[in-house]
Amino acid sequence: MRLRPAFLAACLLLVGRGILSAQDRRITERLDPVTADAVQHLVDSARTAGLPAEPLVQKALEGSTLGAGGDRIRAAVSVLFAQLSRARAALGTSASDAEVTAAAGALRAGVPADTLQHLRALRSGRSLVVPISVLADLVAEGTPLDRAYQSVFDLARDGRPDDDFLALRRREVRQAVGAPDPADAQAPKPAPDPPAKP
Amino acid sequence: MTSFRADPPEPDDETLRRVVAELRRPVPLGPGIDQRALAAIRAGRDQTASRPRRWWLGAAAAMAALAASLLLVVRHANPPAATGREREVVLRLVAPASSAVVVVGDFNDWSPVATPLQPTASGEWTVRLDLRPGRYRYTFLVDGREWKSDPAEPPAPDNDYGPPTSVLTVT
Repeated sequence: MRLRPAFLAACLLLVGRGILSAQDRRITERLDPVTADAVQHLVDSARTAGLPAEPLVQKALEGSTLGAGGDRIRAAVSVLFAQLSRARAALGTSASDAEVTAAAGALRAGVPADTLQHLRALRSGRSLVVPISVLADLVAEGTPLDRAYQSVFDLARDGRPDDDFLALRRREVRQAVGAPDPADAQAPKPAPDPPAKP
Repeated sequence: MTSFRADPPEPDDETLRRVVAELRRPVPLGPGIDQRALAAIRAGRDQTASRPRRWWLGAAAAMAALAASLLLVVRHANPPAATGREREVVLRLVAPASSAVVVVGDFNDWSPVATPLQPTASGEWTVRLDLRPGRYRYTFLVDGREWKSDPAEPPAPDNDYGPPTSVLTVT
């Protein structure tokens, strides 16, 4: 009986995929077998669903390094998987992995999904990683969502560069702790009005 | 409305005789039929001989498919390779009484040995990293036992494991 070449190629591809799904040395070497299997399953599912998989690996490795138990690691990776799914649904299939990852963090911080969709519409064609990250940071640090969103919205609407968003975050942090703005301190002070002539 | 179908007429004996006679009549094969038959047989043998060549072609395609799969395995088994779009970032931690500080995070697979900080005379520990644009979570490990977040960067909102972590955005 002869094997057709196409059939053999298909078999080898399937074997390759099997190896692929079973391989991530970082997971297998640093997690217990049960946790490694669970995490690998989520990683494979993420790849199949078009979600970024690397954040899931990093979340698991973080748990391993920080001494978390297997149950906790599995729970954290599962939660992140769900957030990545919601983030992808909010931003659409054209969003990059970095944008989806940033959006997942924003959802975790308490930013609503429709807020992310507004940002997407406002900044179409440009990366959303920094605006979303700054929005998440502001909310995580205690800035009310409405105020945080309005600040980020204004910059996005005006097409400002990423560094302006980071400057916004620094200003908000200084304001929160009551520290003076170094930009204000270095700015030339206006000359005093000349004394009025008698 | 009712419709009727007429049965086909039964063939009579004379018709059957003519059909059988026609079937028994020899078919004229023409001159050179033997040569043509032998040529056809030889052509078939030649086609059979060429099959191993196609077999090796298929095997080569299969090996290429396996090689592509293994390449994907290696790609996924290792951390993403660095690209030319990296940006230098300096992380700092003031810890004058400490003897060792390392940083663990998304950029080094949370390895507690990969990225040690260097002390300065002022008691500050620093390390330079080349990072691609993106968002990174990390924390410092001081003297191998104490986790410290970076006071210069915001706390990570997804602090799932207890020790404080920071988040860094690289543009």
